Amino acid sequence: MPKRTLKRFFEPRSVAVIGASATAGRPGRVVIENMRANGYDGDIYPVNPRGGRLLGLKVVKAIDELPRGIDLAIVILPAQATPQAVRDCAARKIGSIVLVAGGFAEVDHAGEHLQAELARAADETGVRVLGPNTAGHISTPANFTSSFFPLGEIPRGGISYVAQTGNFTGAMMKHIMSAENYGVARCIGLGNTIDIDETDVFEFLATDKHTKAIFFYLESLRRPQRFIEIAKRVTSEKPVILLKGGATPEGAKAAQSHTASMASDDRILDGALNQAGVVRIDEFSHLFLAAKGVAPMPVPAGNRVGFVSPSGAFIVHINDLCRQRLSLNFPDLKSETMERLKEISPPFIRLSNPVDIFPSATVHGMEFAYREAMEAVLKDPNVDAIVSIMILTRELGMPALDFIPKLAKKYRRKPIYISFSGDQACNEEAKAFLEPRGVPTFPLIEDAFKALDVLVRARKSLKK
Amino acid sequence: MQIDAAKRLVAKSVKAGQGALSEFDSKRFLSAYGVPITRERLVNSEKDARAAAERLGYPVVLKGCAHDLLHKTEAGLVMVGLGSSKEVANAFRELKARAGSDFGGRFLVQEMVKGDRELMIGMTRDEQFGPSVMFGLGGIFTEILEDVVFRLAPLSLSDAREMMSEIRSTKILNSVRGMARVNQPMLARAIVAVGKAAVDNPDIAEIDINPLIVSGSHPVAVDGLVILKPSKSA
Repeated sequence: MPKRTLKRFFEPRSVAVIGASATAGRPGRVVIENMRANGYDGDIYPVNPRGGRLLGLKVVKAIDELPRGIDLAIVILPAQATPQAVRDCAARKIGSIVLVAGGFAEVDHAGEHLQAELARAADETGVRVLGPNTAGHISTPANFTSSFFPLGEIPRGGISYVAQTGNFTGAMMKHIMSAENYGVARCIGLGNTIDIDETDVFEFLATDKHTKAIFFYLESLRRPQRFIEIAKRVTSEKPVILLKGGATPEGAKAAQSHTASMASDDRILDGALNQAGVVRIDEFSHLFLAAKGVAPMPVPAGNRVGFVSPSGAFIVHINDLCRQRLSLNFPDLKSETMERLKEISPPFIRLSNPVDIFPSATVHGMEFAYREAMEAVLKDPNVDAIVSIMILTRELGMPALDFIPKLAKKYRRKPIYISFSGDQACNEEAKAFLEPRGVPTFPLIEDAFKALDVLVRARKSLKK
Repeated sequence: MQIDAAKRLVAKSVKAGQGALSEFDSKRFLSAYGVPITRERLVNSEKDARAAAERLGYPVVLKGCAHDLLHKTEAGLVMVGLGSSKEVANAFRELKARAGSDFGGRFLVQEMVKGDRELMIGMTRDEQFGPSVMFGLGGIFTEILEDVVFRLAPLSLSDAREMMSEIRSTKILNSVRGMARVNQPMLARAIVAVGKAAVDNPDIAEIDINPLIVSGSHPVAVDGLVILKPSKSA
């Protein structure tokens, strides 16, 4: 029997919260508050043997008193009670269940036993189960979350995260919400994956029109062959970026050949991911940097970067970084572009790409110099993307920055990333102005280039 | 040898209970799939060895060759740089003595390929992913530098090209220190060929082409080893 799709998880029309709680701060209450904060408008059925009312909702006393055919149940009970809860939900024709409880195979032997019992319950009843030991999931297109981490309203956007950690629907989501200005579509903490695994979710996200880019944090791959099959299709449509943690120790293999003795699991996985167009990253922070870069901007058409810098030191350093570690390069600019850059610069300046903008800024002011130089470089057909580092201080006077979103609109096929050097308060002011207007900013100068590099690597397999 | 004959060679060897193909058969097999190999002759007598060397041109290499001889160098059954008919004759007697009276194989007279760059192509079957092709630095550097990359079979030419640019020492394929740029289309075809050989022949467990020496600009398989899966009847 083919397994049910994950549609009910991501688009539930009605939800039961098994183990709802009236006590402030308890997961059984926070989960309902989170749904409310995100404008979830399906029916919510809290379940607790005490009955009564909770957040204006009537509390149902037992699972078997629930109406039949609720789309999704979130089970927030002690581990021992979950196998029975799964069977009870199945008896009420609830086909999709999020299991929040921990205390299974991740803890001890008894937990392992309990997890096996749980897996049997899921298998025998045919329900789809997310977890156990998960912080839940998020689906902003459905105004929905099963997270019990106090989140409030989650910003909407095109980024989807699939993680073998609850972080992306908990603390990490809080970080994104408070430190960044991009939004998410679907986020899933996989937990102990007794049923739903990364490949199931991948399959759903592959055709999900709300998902613009998919980010994975994984420590293992349950069905690597199927994962790669899906990846081959998806990576021509949207960027797939993956961080795989926990390199497994190389098993001693009975190898007669050199090849077999060199064939570690990680090397073969690396090759398979590459072949399928998945961009493998090795820094956790890039799960945010690349998301921030791609959320409001197109994926660059190629690796040719125009770089407008206020300092020779940045030019030297970033040149080194790009040459040694990244796949970006700084192309020669067209003669028309060079002409325009000369017009806006003092006569003694030697110009090239990267563009040293400081001399022009001292003569014409920041706003004029950056605006004209950035437009000239954006117009250049040799350039796929542009990074500008701006010097912002009160003493120099904050330039008006509205020219940057305007340029982004005008040259919508080329990403514009902004970085800063100068007064932190000014940087934050600029970020607060630019990011809600669709221009990502990167306080550390390398980060803009590292984010761009990840997306350039994704470009290789994308259809135009 | 054509691909069909190559497949039959593998099937026949599995049926005979062999654990591997001899170097000669391994290379004939790989050559059928498009891997460039050394010119060589299989011989069984001193007289034939001398005649083969004359035809191939000096210097030549003489090796013991049998399907159960996986580590020729360690067994002392390789002699290189043989520059004359007399040296070939002496080497033949020497190797025959070393091989011992119970040696069931023959001897391989091989052109001696000159080239400073040693690469390798290989194949192994991964439990999860199936046949996986490896490319990287060969010779003694394979295990020392571990500069290798994998792709799943079957491979496209662009997969092979990516592998070539992905190894850390990718510059070894350029023209460096007076050496010619490696014929990249030829190398890419050889990598793709190993993947196809693996997909076509499920009875093959592992393949090593090591070293694949760059002679001028041409990659040539100087040694080859095709390891078979244990036959089901055995």
